[in-house]
Formats: sequence, structure tokens, C-alpha cells
Amino acid sequence: MHIPDAFIPLPQAAVYWLIAIIFIALALKWARNELNEEKMPLIAVLAAGIFAIQAFNLPVGMGTSGHLVGGALAAIVLGSPYAAVFILTIVLIIQGVIFGDGGITTMGANVINMGVIGGFVGYYSFKGIKKAIGNCYVSAGIAAWLACLIPALACAVEMFIAGTFPLVPGIVAMGTYHALIGIIEGIITAGAIYLIHTTRPDLMSLEAGGAAA
Amino acid sequence: MIEEIYTIERQAMGNSPVHKIDARVKIIIAFSVIIAMVAYPYSVDVIIPGAIFFGFFAVLWSISKISFIGYLKRVFLILPFGIFIILFQIFFENRHYDTFTPIVDLPLNIHIYAESVEFASILLVKFIICISFIILLSSTTTMQDMLTGARRLGLPSEFALIIGLMIRYLFVFAEIFEKVINVFETRCFNAFDRRLPYNYRLKTLGYAIGTLFLRSYEQGERTYTSMLCRGYSKDSFLHVSRQRLKRGEFSFLAISLVFIILIPVISYFYL
Repeated sequence: MHIPDAFIPLPQAAVYWLIAIIFIALALKWARNELNEEKMPLIAVLAAGIFAIQAFNLPVGMGTSGHLVGGALAAIVLGSPYAAVFILTIVLIIQGVIFGDGGITTMGANVINMGVIGGFVGYYSFKGIKKAIGNCYVSAGIAAWLACLIPALACAVEMFIAGTFPLVPGIVAMGTYHALIGIIEGIITAGAIYLIHTTRPDLMSLEAGGAAA
Repeated sequence: MIEEIYTIERQAMGNSPVHKIDARVKIIIAFSVIIAMVAYPYSVDVIIPGAIFFGFFAVLWSISKISFIGYLKRVFLILPFGIFIILFQIFFENRHYDTFTPIVDLPLNIHIYAESVEFASILLVKFIICISFIILLSSTTTMQDMLTGARRLGLPSEFALIIGLMIRYLFVFAEIFEKVINVFETRCFNAFDRRLPYNYRLKTLGYAIGTLFLRSYEQGERTYTSMLCRGYSKDSFLHVSRQRLKRGEFSFLAISLVFIILIPVISYFYL
């Protein structure tokens, strides 16, 4: 899902950068307003944790593999979609500049897909589903599946607009692949939240059933 | 990916003239080449600036005294998603050409088009040059130097603070990640082993990820406590001293930028 350089023409990449910068500024504002002194290093640790989580290759089937995105996990644990935007932006900067995973000109598009769309879809679908069914872990699992699938579809649309991949095959390929990865992401996100909730409830946001620290 | 962090940082701690150049110069040059390659129209002429920029990269890489095998290894690690899109290009028509000439007819009405192969080659050239300069940048600049350089170039202090902390934790996680992988190997656990029940594999990976998450926080708590003991607070300002570029660095940057701008312009309009 990390779009490399050259796959989106420069003018379009600039537009995605502009949109991403708006959300990054809002995420920075959220970080300054909402985070107390103790949570500043926590964000850095979570960013490193999500970076490490993305290093786990998960078996999808037919010899292929994928990795978790982690946007839903960050948003649910910290109780805000801006947490996902902030953390994923930092992760994408390190991945793009140090590891070459995702481009520099396309970083705006990648932040929109994984941070903005992943974070907002993950967080608000979690809230909505939890309100409807009441189960925190099932809600987190479904939200993580959506937060994996919808950014992948957005990525396919962006590649189509860029003229580097046709729309229907792109949506079918990215949609199918990430619908499968999303199931695994959903199960593992639910499992990780269960584990954190059981061992360190003080880390979870109150909306996710956490205890006040 | 994370397990590569030690190799990359070890390479970046070299002592060559390229390693010694100020991080700002390397960041600006790498980003300028990437922007120049991305901005170049999707045309076969891209091979000219592509070849010249690759020559520029090859000169800097050889001066850096890092093995070419090391470069190839990193390229192969980065390739998968880009190559997937590039390879599939050859089967599709795209908006950059008016007519398409099938050169291979496959079953199910699938064709390989000459124009699509050309377009895929253009993408490949651009992609390889972009990742080569990112590899050069990260292999010759330590993460801390890169952060200091970015800070001097105007990166907001909030981001610099968090990224600085994150970089420290990345090395801790790389170690924890290796430990988790070693434990998996000791227990003969392979996530891709089909003989193991799928649910069991996912459950084990889920616990490993959850443990990594918890360990990350607990490591953060310990680090934060020690930072408090040293007088750190949320409002602490990480001072980055002003440092002017040396005359040689400034000249190298200026000449490189002129070169990076002129090569695509001359190639597009005059060749």
C-alpha cells in the first residue's frame, strides 16, 4: 500500500501533500492540546511499536504475505483518529527516508491513505459498531478490517487518477488482497487490544473500555 | 524491514568524504533528484537523465566505499510493491498512449502491448533512480545526523522531538523483534507452516504483536522516568546549534543543483 515515487505525477502528488499537511497540522494541534507530559514519549514509543508491528509479515495464502497497517490500533488505543494521523505520519517519514518504503513525493498520498483514511475509518467505525453491538473486541476487529480495506481502495483510485494502473483491475486486486489481509489485521488487532486491555487497562482510551490512568 | 536497521546505521557510520558531507546537503540533493525524476514527463527520453543521474549516484556510492552488493540487497528489499505495479503495466492500456500494439497474445483475451512495455520501462527507470538516492542518503547519513539536518532545514520541533525519541526506540524494538523471531525459531514456529492450524498461527502472532506493543510502552515509561531525572519536560527545547555549510559543501550543493536542474531540461528540450 506504500505508493513509491514516480507512480503519481508531481502536480497530483502536490495536491495530496497539501491535503495531508492540513491533517498533519490538525494532528499536531491535537498532540499539543490533548497530550500531557507523559504521553509525548508514549507517542514516540507507539510510533516505533507500529513500525515494528508493520515488520511482521502475515501469511495471506497462495504464498503471499502482507503486513498490518496499525492505524485502527493506534486510534482505538489512544481514543482519537488524529493519534493515527500523527503516528502514521512519523512512521511513513522514517520508512520513506530511511528504508525507501513509500516515496517522498507520494508521502502525502500515503499519509492520506494509511493515516487519515485508516485512522478516521478505524476510529469512527469502531465507535459506531461498538455502540450497535456492544462488544469492544469484535468492534475493533471489524474496524481494523475496514481501516485496512478502504485505504487500499483509495490507493487504487489514486493510482487510476495518476494513470499508472487501471481502475477496475486495481480495485479488484487491491480490494481482494487487502480484504484478506484485513481479516488477519482485524483478528490480530482484536487480540492485541484484548491483551493490552487485560494486562494494562490504563493504556486504553476510556471509549475502548480502558481504565483511567 | 526493522531487522535491517543495524546494517543501515553501521553503513551510515562510515568515514568517507560522502559520509562527512553535511546532512542538509545530502537531503537536498537526494530530494531534488527525486523531484526532477518524478517531474520528468512519462517519455522514453527519461532514460537520458536516468542514466546520467545513475552515473552521479554511482560516483557518490563508490566514493562512499560501501559495497555494491549492499546496494543491490537494499534495492531488492524495496522493490516488491513497485515491481508488482510495473510488471502488471504490460497487460493494460493506459492514458499516456493513443494506440496500442499487441506484441504477445495470451489466453483469456490478455495481450502484452508494446506501448505498455515502454511505459513500464519508463516507470522502472524513474523508480530505480528515486530509490537509489534514498539508499545513498540513508546509507551515508546516520539517523541522528539526518534528524539534525532536517531540523536545521525547518522540520517542526514537535516532529523532531518525537522522531528523535522514536529513532532511539527503533533500535530497542529491532532487538526485541530479533528476540521474538529467535523465540519463534527455538520453538520451531513458522507462521507460514501449513501443517500448523491457521488459528494457532494467528493467535501466536497476535500475542507477539501485543507483547511488542506492551514492551514498547513499558520501555517508554522507564526511559521517560530517567529523562525526568535528567531535567527533561514536555516543554524542553532540543537545541540544535546553528552551523553554516563549509565552502566546499556549499559549492558541491550549488553545482549539484544546477546539474540536477539542467540535465532534465536539456534532455527534454534539446535532445
